[in-house]
Amino acid sequence: MRSRAGVLAVTAMALFLGVLVVTQFRSREAYSRTLQQETPESLATLIASLNDRNRILRDEIFDLRLRLERAQGSVAGGRGSLDEAERSLAQLRVFSARSRVTGPGIGVRVEGQFDERALSDLVNELRNAGAEAIAVNDARVGPRTWFGPGSSGTLVVDGREVRGPWIIHAIGDPEVLYVAMTRTGGIVGQFELIYQRTRFTVGRETTLDLPAVPST
Amino acid sequence: MTDIRALQKGLALLPAAVLFGFLVATQWSTLVAQDVAIRYIDPLSGTVDRLQGEQTSLKTELSDLRSKLDEIQRTASTQSGTVKDLQSRIDDLKASAGLTEVRGEGVIVTIDAVRTAGSKDQERQVCLAPDLTDIVNAAWHGGARAVAINSERLVASSSVYCVGATIVVNGTIVSAPFAVSAVGQASSLLGVIDDPAQLRDLKRRRDQLAVDLRVARSPLLTLPAYTGPLAARSAKAE
Repeated sequence: MRSRAGVLAVTAMALFLGVLVVTQFRSREAYSRTLQQETPESLATLIASLNDRNRILRDEIFDLRLRLERAQGSVAGGRGSLDEAERSLAQLRVFSARSRVTGPGIGVRVEGQFDERALSDLVNELRNAGAEAIAVNDARVGPRTWFGPGSSGTLVVDGREVRGPWIIHAIGDPEVLYVAMTRTGGIVGQFELIYQRTRFTVGRETTLDLPAVPST
Repeated sequence: MTDIRALQKGLALLPAAVLFGFLVATQWSTLVAQDVAIRYIDPLSGTVDRLQGEQTSLKTELSDLRSKLDEIQRTASTQSGTVKDLQSRIDDLKASAGLTEVRGEGVIVTIDAVRTAGSKDQERQVCLAPDLTDIVNAAWHGGARAVAINSERLVASSSVYCVGATIVVNGTIVSAPFAVSAVGQASSLLGVIDDPAQLRDLKRRRDQLAVDLRVARSPLLTLPAYTGPLAARSAKAE
């Protein structure tokens, strides 16, 4: 009886492992197939993008190692870890959009007809270009922000109606953000072709001051 | 007279010869271009593969360092009331920012391009990034507490974009089929996803059999924590 249960357990385990191996293999196969279908230009763009992301990760690892050493030294020296806790808190408040933030960036002014999908695409493009904080008029875009259509041509941000003209402010490297928005074939160029009666103006900003997401 | 006839024959053949030459030259240059492209695809995709592997290792290292720092903080917070208070606020922010694993009921929306053998779709690469951002938007609208695309957790800095047909989320390559997992009240999430006014373009393409779209309720989903970078260079807290 016992050995039968054992056989069943081993069978179940073998089945589970088999499914895992096949899933992993298929996923790997799909990944390789995707890459093999790309053009050399696309692959070169992917390489640049991965290199950039890996550089940011290495910088953060370097910074975190220093913080770890400092925190270990401070605790060992009996000084506690108040500094590190305050640093973590400040960083998380910016990252989670729960803090009012200030910094340089750009503003994209949209005057005329626009819709929620285009606004969502614009926010996605700004994040892709490295925006660290974004707001639509005075509504801060947070980790769970959603966009919808409002009444009479307005837009909805997190359930709140936001009237045009819409100014989308983004804090980040102004030059990088500006070029990402205005480059030939970029998102603003595409919008200008789709929304021909709408005016899009992109400008660099020395200092922006964006509100926090409302606390829930 | 014979010379003139021969010349006329020659002239009659000339356009055909030019056309033939043109076709041969075009075909040859296409083959050369394809050869050049094929020659570069293997080393380039190999480099992409290597960099993606490197990124996975860097993310693991970053997570380990964060855990160690967290451990020090937790130990220290038992000794000081101020640090304990800060630690509780840090934990709350981590959860709301997507830095902790989340479990609960929810919905999985899976999409993939439909490729029929021999059809032009096989050659034409389809970018599904706008569909993914639409699904994610619908999930947040439906009250999701957490959302991930494949194993990439979405946070305030997340972007979804295509390079060719390859999708990049949080700077990481994700492969088809693309699963958007949303943790939240399933009935509320499905209420938005099934609303005919939502995801109209995607549903239309599903009806035309151009895209495979599946929606499934799940009693228990586990979404991983975000493991990418956090540091802001330009934004300062006030």
